[in-house]
This record gives sequence, C-alpha cells and structure tokens, in this order.
Amino acid sequence: MADQYPTLLQCAIPATALKVLLWPAYRSTDFEVHRNWLAITHSLPLREWYYEKTSEWTLDYPPFFAYFEWLLSQVAQFADRGMLEVQSLNHDSWQTVHFQRATVIGTELVLLYALHLFVKSSPPSSKKQAHAAALSILLSPGLLIIDHIHFQYNGFLYGILVLSIVLARKPSGLLASGVVFAALLCLKHIYLYLAPAYFVYLLRAYCLGPRSIFKIRFANCIKLGVGIAVVAGLAFGAFVYYDQMQQVFSRLFPFSRGLCHAYWAPNVWAMYSFSDRVLIYAAPFLKLPVNADAVNSVTRGLVGDTSFAVLPDISPRMTFFMTLAAQIPALAKLFFRPTWDNFVATLTLCAYASFLFGWHVHEKAILLVIIPFSLLALKDRRHLGAFRPLAVSGHVSLFPLLFTAMEFPVKVLYTVVWLAVFLLAFDRLAPPSEKPRVFLLDRFSLLYIAVAVPLLVYCSLVHQLVFGAKYEFLPLMFISTYSAVGVVGSWIGFLVVFFTS
Amino acid sequence: MAPSPPTAYRPRKKRKPEPSTSNGTVTLDGSKTEQPAFPLAAFFWPAKGTNTTQWIILPLTLMLVFLFRWFTGMWPYSGHQKPPMHGDFEAQRHWMELTVNLPVTHWYFHDLEWWGLDYPPLTAYHSWVIGRIGWLVEPEWFRLYLSRGTDEAGLKVFMRATVVVSEFLIYVPAAVLCVRQLVRLHSINTWESSIALTALLMQPATILIDHGHFQYNTVMLGFTLATIASMLAGRPLWSCIFFVGALGFKQMALFYAPTVAAYLAGTCISPRLDIPRLLGIAIVTLASFAVLLLPLMLGTSYDTYRNVPLPSDATLPALLSSLPWQISEKAWHYPYLTQLAQAIHRIFPFARGLFEDKVANLWCAVHTSGLHKLHNYDSALLSRAALGLTLTSITPPCAILFLRPRKELIPYAFATTAWGFFLCSYQVHEKNVLLPLLPMTILLATEGGMKAATRAWVGFANLLACWTVFPLLIKDQLRIPYFVLTGLWAWLVGLPPVSIGAYAIPGEEGGLSLGSKLLHLGTYAAMVAWHVVEAWVEPPENKPDLWVVANVCLGAAGFGLCYLWCLWRLVEGSGLLSDLGLTKRKEEALKRKQ
Repeated sequence: MADQYPTLLQCAIPATALKVLLWPAYRSTDFEVHRNWLAITHSLPLREWYYEKTSEWTLDYPPFFAYFEWLLSQVAQFADRGMLEVQSLNHDSWQTVHFQRATVIGTELVLLYALHLFVKSSPPSSKKQAHAAALSILLSPGLLIIDHIHFQYNGFLYGILVLSIVLARKPSGLLASGVVFAALLCLKHIYLYLAPAYFVYLLRAYCLGPRSIFKIRFANCIKLGVGIAVVAGLAFGAFVYYDQMQQVFSRLFPFSRGLCHAYWAPNVWAMYSFSDRVLIYAAPFLKLPVNADAVNSVTRGLVGDTSFAVLPDISPRMTFFMTLAAQIPALAKLFFRPTWDNFVATLTLCAYASFLFGWHVHEKAILLVIIPFSLLALKDRRHLGAFRPLAVSGHVSLFPLLFTAMEFPVKVLYTVVWLAVFLLAFDRLAPPSEKPRVFLLDRFSLLYIAVAVPLLVYCSLVHQLVFGAKYEFLPLMFISTYSAVGVVGSWIGFLVVFFTS
Repeated sequence: MAPSPPTAYRPRKKRKPEPSTSNGTVTLDGSKTEQPAFPLAAFFWPAKGTNTTQWIILPLTLMLVFLFRWFTGMWPYSGHQKPPMHGDFEAQRHWMELTVNLPVTHWYFHDLEWWGLDYPPLTAYHSWVIGRIGWLVEPEWFRLYLSRGTDEAGLKVFMRATVVVSEFLIYVPAAVLCVRQLVRLHSINTWESSIALTALLMQPATILIDHGHFQYNTVMLGFTLATIASMLAGRPLWSCIFFVGALGFKQMALFYAPTVAAYLAGTCISPRLDIPRLLGIAIVTLASFAVLLLPLMLGTSYDTYRNVPLPSDATLPALLSSLPWQISEKAWHYPYLTQLAQAIHRIFPFARGLFEDKVANLWCAVHTSGLHKLHNYDSALLSRAALGLTLTSITPPCAILFLRPRKELIPYAFATTAWGFFLCSYQVHEKNVLLPLLPMTILLATEGGMKAATRAWVGFANLLACWTVFPLLIKDQLRIPYFVLTGLWAWLVGLPPVSIGAYAIPGEEGGLSLGSKLLHLGTYAAMVAWHVVEAWVEPPENKPDLWVVANVCLGAAGFGLCYLWCLWRLVEGSGLLSDLGLTKRKEEALKRKQ
C-alpha cells in the first residue's frame, strides 16, 4: 500500500502558513477573554481565580483550562509582560497578538497527532477514507474561522477529543480513553454533551462482561473509577480545599442566559423563533393572542431572556428533557451493540441532540457534531448522504461570526474550496452501501446546497444595497434558519442510517 | 497500490490519453512506486491519472492563490502611518485622487513633489477607473488635497481589492494562457502544467511586493505574459498589442523591449524574409501606441476646447524647447505636443541618480562595497558607462534570438535581457527584480523544467530575489509574511533552506553539476547566516548599513550567476555552438551513447 498524498504533515504546513498570515486579521472579544485569563492565572493566587471580576470576561472554564492558561502565561512573560496585568484591559500590543495567535497554532499540534493516530489505527481497507476524513478535519474551515480569526482554542480541545475517540478503538485503550475524556471535561465543560455516550460505551464495553451484562468486571470498574477520580481531584481538589466549589460551579453554569444566543445557532429553537416571527403576522388571521412585549425581543439579538409572541415559552428544564429524550434511543442501541462505529455514531447523535435542543447553544458548538461525524462520514454512501447537508449548513452558520469586509472573502472562499475539495473527494472514496439509499434525500441535499449560493449573495450584498443598515436581523435570521433546516435534515438522515443499519 | 473499492463514480466518457510525464514531478523510490518529487506535486497527487477536469482544478487553484494574496494584504503596506511622505500606497491613492478630480491636461503637470504622476498613461487610466469606483464607495478617500495620507481601514480593503482584481483580470488569465502555450510546445501533460502554474502563481516576491508592499506590477507583468503567450501561439500582432500595454502601464517593461524587438524582427527574416509581416508588426505597434495615447489626447482637446489653463506653477518641459523646429504657442498641435513632452519628461527622469536606495545590481554593489566609489565621477559619464555595459550585456541574448527566433528560446532570452538590464542599467529599483524573475519562473512549465537542475536554478533566483527585497520589507513591517511566503514556496518546490533534495541528485541523472551545487548551497548558507546576523547582531556604529550592503553585494553576485546561466542555456538551446562546430550536435552525442 503506497502512502497517501498529500500526507497530513504536508497539509499542515501550508495550512500553518495561512494561519500565520492571518495574525493581523479581525479578532473577537474572545481574544481579550483569553488575555484576561492569562493575566488572572499569572498574577493572582489560585484561590482568587474564580472570584476575580475586574474584567467583565471572568474565568468561566473548568480548572484544567485555567492551568493551561497558567502554563501559557509562563511563556507569555517573555513576549510581553504587559498582557499579564489584570488591570490592563484590552491590551493588544503586537507581541500579545502574535503570542496568543501562535499558541493557538502551536497547541493545534495535538489535533495533528490525534488525526495521525486515527489514520494509523484504521484497518487497511479503509485507510484511504480515514486519511481523507483526517485531512478534512485538519483543514476544517470551522477551525480556521473560530480559532484563527475569531480566536479560541478548539483545535487543541478537539485534538484531545479525537485522541480519546481513537484510544477507544482498541479494548486496551478504553481506560485511557475514559481518563482522557475526563481530562477534556475539566478543560471545557461543553463536552458534557457527549458524556452520555462515553458513559454507556465504557460501561458496556469496559465495565460489563462482553457476553453478558450481568458479569461485572470489578477490576475494570475500580481502575476507571480511580482514573476519573484522580483527574477530577487534580482539577477540582484545590477548590474543594478552599471550599469554593459553589463559586466555581456558578461560574461554569450561568443559567441566567437566554434560550437562543445572540446570533441564533441553527437549531430547533431557531426554527421555533422563526415560526414565532412569522406567526406574529399570521396571528390576526388565525385569531391567536400576541404577546406585545415579546414582539421586539429575539431579533434585537440581546443575550437575555427570550420570550415568544405567539408560541408558548420554553424553559431550561424542557430543553434538558428534550435533549435527553433525543439521546436515549441511540444510547440504547449503543448499549446493546457496543462497537466502535456505533460509539462514534452515538457521540455524533448526542452532539446533534444537545445542539438542536439545548439551552443557549452557540453556533460554534456545531463543530461538536461535525468533527465526530467526519470520522464516520466515509463509512459508506448513506453516511455521506447525511453528512453533506451538515457540512454545508454547519459552516455557513458560522459566517455571521465574521462580519468585517477584509474577512468576508476569507470565510466564503476558504469554505467553498474546502467543500469542493472534500465533497468531491468523499464522493469518490465512499464505498457503496449494502442497503439501498433513500433516493429522495440526495435530491434534497443537492437542492439544499444549491440554495446556499443565492442566500449568501443576498445576505452579503443584496440586503445591504436594498435596505442599507435597516432590518439587520434579516440576513442573520435567514442564515440561521437555512442552516437549521440543513442540520435538522442531516440529523434525521443520520438517524435513519443509524437505526436501519 | 491496492485496488480501490468500487464506487458509484463513473466518468461519462474516456478522454484521450495524456502525454506521459516528462517534467520531473515524479520520482521512483526503491520499490518502483511513484512518489511526488517535491511537496507541491503531492498536493496534486489525488488528481493524478484520474479524469479530474481542469474545470475543477483550475478554479480551486485560483481560489487558493487568491487566499494567499488576500491574507498577505492584511499586513501593513508601505508607508502605513508613516508621515510625512507615506509610501507607494499613498502614491497610488494619490494618482486616483488627481485623475478623478483634475482635468486631463493637469495630470502630468500636477505637483511633482507629492508623488507626482510619473508612470505611462495606462496607469493613469487605471487609476482613473479605480478612483471613479472608489468615489462611489467613499468620496472622502479621494478628495483633492484633503485626502493626502489617508489610512483608513476601509480604504485599505478597497485598495487591496483593486490590486487583487487587477491581477485576476490580467496577470492570472495571461499566466494560464502562457503556461498552456508552453505546455503545448513541450508536450507536457495537463496534470504537470497545473503544478507549474501553481508554482508560478505562488511566487513569493510578486505576492510580497504587490500585495504586501503595495504596487500594481502584476498588471504590467500580466501584459508581458500575454506577449509571451501570443509569441508562443504564433500570433506576433497580438504580442505587439500586449507589449504596448505593458510599456504603457509601466516604463520598466523596457527591460523586455529589446527581446521583443529581436524576436519579432527575427521571425520576419527567418526562415525567409517576410516583408508583409514586418509591415504588419510596425503598423499594429504604432496603432497600439496611438490607441494608448488617444484618451490623453482626447482629454487635451476637450480641455483646449473648454480653455482650461495649465496649472499656474507648470514649467514647460525642456523636451519641448529642445525640439529641432520652433513651434508657436498658437499652433493647433501645441497643447498636444506639450502634454506628450511633459508625460515623457515625467516618465523618464534622466536627472535622477545612477541607482536609488540600495539595490542588488552591479553599480550599487561596486559603489557601496567600497570597491570603487562612484560619486567622484561625472553623472553623464556614469550614465554613458551604464548604457554601454547594458548594451554589452543584452546584445548576446538579443542577437541569438534574432538569428534563431525559436519559441523554445523565448523565456531564456527574456530572462537574460532583463537580468542584463537589472544588473547594469540606470535607475533600477530593488522591486524591478520581478522582471527577470517572471520569464525565469515560467521555465518550470517547459520540458524537464521541474527536474532538479532547472527547478534549482529557478528557485535560486526567486529565493535570492526575495532575500534582496527583505530590507525593503522590513521597512514595511512585512517580516513575518516574508518568512512565511518565502519559506512556504521553498518548501513547496523542495529547495533550500527547507529541503536539499534537489541537490542530492547527481549530475548525470538530471541534477546540477558539482560547481553549481556548491555555489548554490554556499549562497543559501550565506543567506541564512545573514538573517541570523541581521536579527541578533547590531551593525558597527560607523557602518550602520553594513548588513544591507552585504545583502546587496551577495545579491548582485547571485543575480550575475543567474544571468550567466540563462545566457548559457540560451546559447546551448540555440544550437549556434554546434553550427559553429564548437560542440558536437546533441543527436550525434546521443547516437554515440547508444
């Protein structure tokens, strides 16, 4: 078997070149958030980390991430000491920018390594496919937009996630996989959404007997329990010691936020809000009561409580139960057939459920679905059919994150190149499926992809020419509703594929 | 390779088979499997041997090279927030300001001190078009006098966009056509031509100067590529039109003029005398010049009709009074002649020095290295010396091309002549190194062009050129883009300082000879060492420019080598030596081997 060209490393080099060239690009407030965390962890004692509130961007990630920032700050002092002062808000000397941008690129090596392991661990018959999937993740426009322009450390975090998923491929790696995932949770708690799949898989494949679920492997249970306890202890021990757990948790889980994030993430609630908006105009004809206070709330895009004008309001509890209800069927299937493929599929479905039904979901969380799904997308053509609309909608939904003129061609062209290269490559590489495909779905996804073009033209050009600065929410609403249709469509497609194979 | 699993993908029809590989993008490893010879080829690997059409590969390549250009544009430009004079960015913006606001007759008379218009008319029209569009976007960017030194973020995006758009309208199509013609001439397969095209479009020096420093060189270079493409396609009249376009955009295209003339004249006399063709070329060239000047003349006649006076501070060009005949101010042609004379006066400022700033050419190297100080000499003497030396350096390539007007020789002749001009002529800027680089880089698309030997020389010239413009880029705060783009290109084509693969191939197997290898590797080592020294060691106090001088001297020496190499390849390719009996014919040599 010849090597696959271009290799992962060969792709990483020009990608890194592009990322370095992006250093002077637009950066969001997340840049200042992370600068502030560098300052907090560097200049304050541990017990003040979760109390410090000079900046409005308080530390709201779990302790491992804070330790990670502390490590970075040890290097940062050689770049520019100024960024390490808690008081120097919005400090952005070029040294600071270059340093922080460089750390994003540097820590992304974890992802490169994890993907390398993924390709290495794939069976020879699907090496080619695994290689293509790994490249698609490495060069993902999502990571480029969110990490290297908007500014976050997702490449690093998803690297750890992929590492944990790859470790779970071999029975001997299950323990390590669980421990790595526990560490990941202590870095960023958004991955809690995936925890049910891990719980079920490790329970079934590691803690219970392979033949019968009534043969409990106690030694494994203890090993896993101790491993996770050690990770949790390392992360939270100090804060338990200082008796700060309540404060830490109040920072990690701020429930005072609204149902929808400022830009609507493309999920069920976006469609729900959109229907509500439409119903405002239809209500007089249908004789429905309209809540006058709420008419102006969602489209104003404020992060606050969202109330609906016509449709019933949604509470956090409802979203929680809906998420769980959407996850349970997949978890049940995983419990009875604990294969690695089913595990990754269940991870994807858990991510789908929480993204679609969760409370205050960020559009950035779509990577939580795309990245595990990419690992499976090339299993056969049916999987690819479900993946395609997700690849389009997921990335299009990220476009509103960047709104400056200079970044406009970057996000659009990079995404178009990525979609063209990988959808074509995937199309050639995906083996035919054993079961017949649902023919209609393909037509739907082609039509769906085609609609993206006029939509983007309207949102980026026509709207401004016609309305100027008025109705600013319209393009955003169209994009998120359009993307929501794609995400929901691919979810349904994937559910069908998962439960019929 | 294992048989690929069955897929639903079915090509609709079989294409006709492509010519086999001949350009050196592929090597064999021990187990007789093919391998990409350098990383750039690896990126095209998935398309190799498949029916992936150019309709997919070409747009994707173009979008990617666009991204690299646009990303470079995010960095500062020359003169960014540097009062009082700013830099080339301000010059270009100012030309838009003045062409949009002033009557045509004032264009070449307006205030010389603040970046007076000193480029040929096509640049003026180009500025006018862009200025008009920009005026629609935001008039404040181009208000007469008030907008000087503007450096708003929106203006930067607009100006960067105009460079990219101009390039994609002219340079990129010309590059695609030119590579296609070369590929047809040398029977290279499409797959390899895409690789050569990408290498050409990723040329770091061009990206850094146009999209980093800020200039519109690619417009002129694009016209030049179109000229070469038309010559290769056997359409000499089109090449005249395009070349007048190049000259009309930037006078620096004169570097190429002798080659163009030699080739076109050569095709008229060999294989047999062809008077109609000669006449056609002459007429088309003159007509093109007339069209080039037409808008300027129409504007002048409109201003004369409206009785718009020249600016009050206008001094009539000396050229006008040195005409052999006396013209009266009342004559109908007087205003037109004044405009022409003034434009020529601005475009060719004979009064400036031998060289400007520090440029890696012969004069500057001789002067600054202290080998021989030139400022003691009379400037007229120096310019005559420059003229003489330039003529000496360009005569051999032009003579060869005139005697043997073969298509295969065109890139070599263009490169040799341009190197001659760059090294020896008068008033050269460091940015002009782009001119010899272009014809040299298209050699990648010729037969064996991506084999180790040619690739090494093309890469050597490109990397050395980037290195000589580095002192300029430091001033523009473009250090990081320089390292990124230059390093990336060196890696893509598999050359030092990133890889020495191309130098590991022995001379008999298409590699370089030992002498060239040593020269190249020595130069690369010196370049790397220079960067280390420049970054960490302060120059001695009495010689603050020491590092730049070192750069200039090494650069000039390296470019001299490039000149000699191009000239040698030209001589070799022309077959003149074998005709003169100095070497044996290739065929005979081959026969003897068999």
